[in-house]
Amino acid sequence: MAEILVYGAVISAIYAMLAVGFTLIFGVARILNLAHGSFYALGAYGVYALTADAHLPLFLAAAVAVLLVALFGVAVERVLVRPLRRSTLAVLMITLAVALMVEQVLLLIFGSEARNVPSMVNATFDVMGADVSGQRLLALSGAIAILSALWFFMQRTRLGSAILAISQDAEAAQYMGIPSDRIFSLVMGLSAGIAAAAGVLVAPFQTVIPGMGLLPLVKAFAIVVVGGLGSIVGSIVGALLLGYTETIIAFKISIEWSQIVSVAAVLLTLILRPAGFFGKRAAF
Amino acid sequence: MKALLAVDGLNKRFGGLQAVKDVSFALEPGSITGVLGPNGAGKTTLFNLLTGFMTADTGKVEFDDEPLLGLAPYRIVNRGLARTFQLTRPFVGMSVLENVEVACFAPRVRHEGHARARAHAMLEHVGLAPKAASLVDVLPYGDLRRLEIARALATRPKLLLLDEPFAGLGSSEIQPLADLIRELHRKEGLTILIIEHKLRELMQLAHEVIAMDFGEVVATGVPAEIVRHPRVVEAYIGKAEIGESGGALGAA
Amino acid sequence: MSEHRTDWLGALVVLVALALVPAILGSSYITGIMTVALCFAMWAASWDFMSGLTGRENFGHSLFIGAGAYTAGFLNVNFGASPWWSLAASPLVAVAFSLVIGFPTLRLRGPYFALAMLSGAAVMQSLTIIFSEYTGGQDGLNGLFPFFDSELTQYYLTLFFLAATVTTLRLVANSPWGTILRAIRGDEASCQAAGINVTFYKIASLMISAAFAGLGGALYAHYQLQVGPDLFAVILSINIIIMVYVGGMGSIYGPVGGAILLILLTEALRAFSEYRLWVYTLILMLILFFLPQGLVAPLWRRLRTIAQ
Repeated sequence: MAEILVYGAVISAIYAMLAVGFTLIFGVARILNLAHGSFYALGAYGVYALTADAHLPLFLAAAVAVLLVALFGVAVERVLVRPLRRSTLAVLMITLAVALMVEQVLLLIFGSEARNVPSMVNATFDVMGADVSGQRLLALSGAIAILSALWFFMQRTRLGSAILAISQDAEAAQYMGIPSDRIFSLVMGLSAGIAAAAGVLVAPFQTVIPGMGLLPLVKAFAIVVVGGLGSIVGSIVGALLLGYTETIIAFKISIEWSQIVSVAAVLLTLILRPAGFFGKRAAF
Repeated sequence: MKALLAVDGLNKRFGGLQAVKDVSFALEPGSITGVLGPNGAGKTTLFNLLTGFMTADTGKVEFDDEPLLGLAPYRIVNRGLARTFQLTRPFVGMSVLENVEVACFAPRVRHEGHARARAHAMLEHVGLAPKAASLVDVLPYGDLRRLEIARALATRPKLLLLDEPFAGLGSSEIQPLADLIRELHRKEGLTILIIEHKLRELMQLAHEVIAMDFGEVVATGVPAEIVRHPRVVEAYIGKAEIGESGGALGAA
Repeated sequence: MSEHRTDWLGALVVLVALALVPAILGSSYITGIMTVALCFAMWAASWDFMSGLTGRENFGHSLFIGAGAYTAGFLNVNFGASPWWSLAASPLVAVAFSLVIGFPTLRLRGPYFALAMLSGAAVMQSLTIIFSEYTGGQDGLNGLFPFFDSELTQYYLTLFFLAATVTTLRLVANSPWGTILRAIRGDEASCQAAGINVTFYKIASLMISAAFAGLGGALYAHYQLQVGPDLFAVILSINIIIMVYVGGMGSIYGPVGGAILLILLTEALRAFSEYRLWVYTLILMLILFFLPQGLVAPLWRRLRTIAQ
């Protein structure tokens, strides 16, 4: 029982990071970013490469990895997405292409075997009777810290308000002189950075393979659809729902069944309540 | 004479806003009736309710003695009630002719066959025949309006709802369009309901006017009376003092 | 000569070429690759009919392919039925799937419809693995029978069905149906205002698309002689979409060319199979940026203008 509580929390926190980043770029720029999982994977591989090959200290490697992926996200938006913005489907396809490309590059450079990333915290802790690795707890606290920082940024800074304004009404924001284009790039970078941070935090205890970004992408999408496209609160609530449902099913039934939950949730939500539970923008 | 369209107690609320409030009126066959009112008066919402694009909260509508509410838009069209849109919505990527052809495939008129020829005939009615092969994407506003009308006509309606047909048109385009509408009314025997907030054009065309404000019908009568009706004057002039034109209340 | 006549003439030429090439080359290897290419061509053409015309891109086409293939597998392996039954049953099962998934998802806007279909296919894939007692799980069903012992004859059967598929789909696309489907792409509300029952046409076109995809699935199954959960995979749907982009959306025949081109390209790069996805992805990016109309269809249109 305690295990479910703790493990559920960890996985929900990570899902929340992924979902929030995904919904952010959608809410602001209307981009359904299929490369979101790639940012996550690149974060994990980044910290691996920087520690194993470049021999950087772990925490520095983590920070650098996140920064590099954020910059990569900005580059993707500027170079590949912006020219195609007139067509939502073209944007979908190009982000898909980026996702496929990244996976191939990772496969080429690092091969298909799982990579080992050292833990930042080696100790094991006893939480309410359950054994939890320090890394998992770090992931949980890191996620909470980052999401809190994001909330603070959105609510209390001018830039954050600008972003919120655009997500509510892009045209009106433009009339107010907010430079939408630059903000899109910024938000993409932010979204990518958060996804990379998630990858960095889980790398020590998740399987680091080139295809590791696919499932998280599907889950982020599932959460965002259920929680409501463009709603940050919805993403967090959705992440908790999904994270705990998956954990409970994985513990009580089987892991295979737990993987269907997210996809089934998407289908059901799209069918029953296309706007999601908190969404402002319906899917039709 | 029996009414072609009988509307009784129509209501529609959006959250806190009562967009259409207890609207009732009747249209005689062969009449041209105008719906007048400032932006936000509920005119387009009324059209949307009548044509099935929105569902009414309460009320009754009878068209040709048959109930109309609750039917899907395409079914309503096939009963003989066609509409145009305030913001024209052509089938992009297709030619002018094809745009009208689509309407010729509606179940109501499909059996007539010869869709291409009939579509062409419709284009001639509205004066767009020379542009039949052009793509709609490059058509000027005035032509798009005519296209909408041609498309609506292709379904052989008994009642035609025109939503602000003169909006956005230059003075040189307004008169020809007004003449076209008048001619269609004469030749086809159409019953027409026009939304327009350009007073002058509406006064010229309409036999009778329904004035709306804040979702309610505030007056009905012949144009000359309506123009002098205190509530109507207040709705228009009053708003002008606050600085109207464009809608302190948002879209109709 | 009218455009349509030239089109059919060109199709005839291509058909004859496709018929002669394997016979002349006489290589079992080539015949095999071409059979696979033709199955992909059926999948691409059927996708194009619905998604290319209405503009509602379906990211879960593999749902219908897998449905058709597994139907063939069940009938042949579990029930010992002759392969010919598959040709009737697979399309029907695929159509049933399209009804189930179509009704709730077709009212969704573009990208959401795409991803809802993708989810549907992904769910099917997972279910196939979970219920392994019936479906053979990851290993799938093995031991299907081919239609003919001769690979070449089976190739001709596949070619026949491809020709039938493209002919049928083109005929429908050139009929009022096609105009209506393209109008749906233009503006659904205006379609309603024109008196068209939009839902009916969307569902019907999805059903038609599914039927031919399922048929292709059956033909593929009886060629590979096995079916596995990969046939429901997302990547299969994506590959088919890329083939359609290469071929030129909305033309039906373009995707056929795109499919054949990409399958042959894949084979040619067999030595570099790790780079295969690279190549596909690069091609997709090039098309998106430089050739949004595709390669094959615009090429044909240019040839056609010259020929006339």
